[in-house]
Formats: sequence, structure tokens, C-alpha cells
Amino acid sequence: MLNIDKVSVRRGKVLVLKDISLSLLSGNTLAVVGESGAGKSTLIATILGLTKPWQGQITWNNAPVGWCGPALVMQEPRSAFNPALSLRRSVMEPLIVQNAEKPNERISRLCEGLELSPEILDRRPTEVSIGQAQRIGILRALIVSPPLVLFDEPLSALDAVTQKHTAKLIAKLQREEGFAALIVTHDLGYAMAHADEIAVLKSGSIEEIATPEVFAQTPKSDYCRILRDAAIALGALEAPG
Amino acid sequence: MTLSVNGLEAVRSGQTILHPTSLEIFPGDRIGLVGLSGSGKSTLGHALIDDLRSQGHSVAHVPQSPDEALDPLRSMAFQWREAEQALGLEQGAADQKTLFSALRIEGGDLRKRPWGWSRGMQQRFVIAMALIGTPDLIVLDEPTSALDPVVAAATMDLLDRNLEGRSAAMILITHDLGLAARRVSKLMVMHEGRVVERAHTRDILDCPQTDASKALVAHRNWMDLPC
Repeated sequence: MLNIDKVSVRRGKVLVLKDISLSLLSGNTLAVVGESGAGKSTLIATILGLTKPWQGQITWNNAPVGWCGPALVMQEPRSAFNPALSLRRSVMEPLIVQNAEKPNERISRLCEGLELSPEILDRRPTEVSIGQAQRIGILRALIVSPPLVLFDEPLSALDAVTQKHTAKLIAKLQREEGFAALIVTHDLGYAMAHADEIAVLKSGSIEEIATPEVFAQTPKSDYCRILRDAAIALGALEAPG
Repeated sequence: MTLSVNGLEAVRSGQTILHPTSLEIFPGDRIGLVGLSGSGKSTLGHALIDDLRSQGHSVAHVPQSPDEALDPLRSMAFQWREAEQALGLEQGAADQKTLFSALRIEGGDLRKRPWGWSRGMQQRFVIAMALIGTPDLIVLDEPTSALDPVVAAATMDLLDRNLEGRSAAMILITHDLGLAARRVSKLMVMHEGRVVERAHTRDILDCPQTDASKALVAHRNWMDLPC
């Protein structure tokens, strides 16, 4: 279980995350939504250990979160890979570091789950479509069976049909592999459809944590209502009946 | 005045990316140009704008990326003045204050160059430039993709209000049928460089005819899909 306990992060004199407490069970999905500058990406950087919290701590099963080897899926799939290497080489890197046995079996299994032909991995990042590149980014994140996967806007570079198809593949793999997923997104429709809980971040603080059902029908704070109504106005959600 | 173009096409590296396409756009039309990535939406948008401008029509264009619209070496104030001049307006004639406050960019420093503004603010500045003057057509290419949902919804509402009662036609280019469905009355669906279906929005939502439209309709809303 991921436990974020009263975490605050400072940049100079500014508190960019304020007293954040969140928890996420294995196999579950937590979506973190909020506007640009709310602190979503800082939260991911802090979980990964790239940014040190000023106060509070983040643990996975009561041990430092870094020990569980969390994986990251980035927003821009093509620039997430080294352009000079084949995709297979990039995907294999975590396996080589870990000296894994039978790496090809794992790659074949994930390729099947992500509806990718294994030959596509012999291409370079610029030689595949953006949707394929993102699925290969997910493959690389899952290659060493991490218990916790962080997704930073995983669908925002994709078109509407590819977004939904990729989201379904992520959900299917999560059921099979049992990892905990923390998804940062500004797409409330995605959060509502795929998350067990939604945490709304505003100016570095948690505004509300709710299940999608509560969020759709009776959000408590004004900001959450504004966010929900914006998603309806943009056609990402239907108005509650 | 009805705008019409005939036989627009585009070829890149020997490959046809836009097959011959003809269009008629009536005053006040609200048209959504929808399709997947790479289907040719933006290419048709560019070809249409070039053709109509060469016919002498006034067309405002909000490209997908503000980088396409703004000169990185010029201040924002210069870009605004240039837009006014191009439209034959006196300096300061456009109601910049109202537009900026409606788009929530009134705090932007006009002395700065584009890169002194956030991308979301740059995008809204370009939208504001498209709303000055009285163009025959406004083409908006994924106008909200760089914006937060709250700002995006407010921007689309502003566009709707601003265009209400005006004879200017509007073309909204987007991959998101959910967005288009709420904002336009007619749809053109593109697939592999061709317009494969044209109909009223309601007709396409209720009864899509082509595979491309069926895929877009099936994926227009997150909640309709089994997880």
C-alpha cells in the first residue's frame, strides 16, 4: 500500500504541496486531477524521490517508496525514449540492469496484452505512431513487474479513440498484474471512468477525495463542482441525470 | 455570402494526404471537422484557409499550436497591433480589455515576447486576436487542447457568445467528437485524407454511416465504454 503522510514540498519560499495525505491499495487506481500549476507533477516527482519533501513521508508497505521500484509512464511518448536507440533496446534496459531471466518471454506477454506486434520494437521512436509509442512506454514501465505505476497525463497526446483504447488496455493489464496505479490527469472523464478514487488538487492542497459516483452526483466543494461542470461543457462527461 | 472551394488537395513526399475535396460554407454555419490523428483535418483546414484568402475572403485562424501564430521575436503588443493593422482597424479599436478579461489573460504583460507567457495564455491570446474584426470564417484547430478543462470550457463558451448573431461561419477542428457534439450543428468526418461523411451533428450521433464515424461516436464519451 502507498501511503503519503502529511507531505509538504517547498520551492524556495513557496509551498508547492501543502500537507498532502493520500493512500492507495495494491490493484487500485487513484486519479489526481487539477489545473496546471496545482502541483500534480510535483507530487509524482516527490513519490519518485526526484524531489525531497520538506515535511512528511511517503512509504510503500511501511518501507521507503523507492525500495519498491515505482515505474513512470510519461506524457509525451516519443520524447520519453532515446531517439538513437531501437525501442527494443530502450525497453530491455531495466531488464538488463536487473539481470532478469527470460526477458523475451516477458516482452512477448506484454506485447500481446498491449496489442503490439513484437517486430515494432525494432524500430526507432520516430518510426511508430504516437499511440504505439505510448503503448511501448507502458510496456517499458511494466517490464520489471513494478507494484506501483505512476502515469503522468498518459493519454493527453493521443486522439479520442486511441485514448479510450489505451485506457482499456491499461485497466486490463492492471487486473492481470495487480499493480497500484496513480494517474495524474486533467481529463475528468478518464478519471471518472477508470479510477476507484479521485483526489482533486488545487494550489498544492487536496480539495476533496471522493469516489467517481460521489464526484459525479454531489461534489462537496465549489471547485470540484466547477471542474465537473467544465468536463460536462467540454463533452467529456454527461450531465448527471 | 456563401464560401465555396473546389478540388482542394495536398501531396507530401509523393503521397496524397488530402484527396480532392470541395466544400460550401454558409453564413453562420457551425461546422465540426472531426477525425483521428493523421486523418487530414489540419491539412484540409490550411488548404481551405489559403484558398478562401486567395479569393479575397477574410478568414481568422487559430492554429493548434500558438507557435504557428506568434512571432517569437516580437512583443505581444506588437503582434496585437499587427493584427489590428491587417484588419484595417485603428490602433486600440479592438476591445482588447473585454476580450482579455473574458479569456482571463488580463494579467499578461504585453511588453513580453510569447515565451514570457504560459502556453495556455498564448493560446488564449491567439483566440482573442481571431475575435477582433469581422471575418467571414473563423477556423479553430483544436483550440482548447493546451488549456485546463475549466479554462477550456470558459473559452468555448466565450467563443459561442462572441459568434452568436454574427454572420461569421465557424469551423472547429477536433479529434474529440464529445466536444464537437456540444458546439456545432454540422459535422464533416475525415478518414485517410478524405471527407467520408457530412451530415447534421444529431444525425451522425444517432446513425453514423461510415466506420470512421462509428468509431468516433462509440468513443465520444468515457462513461459509455465498458472498463
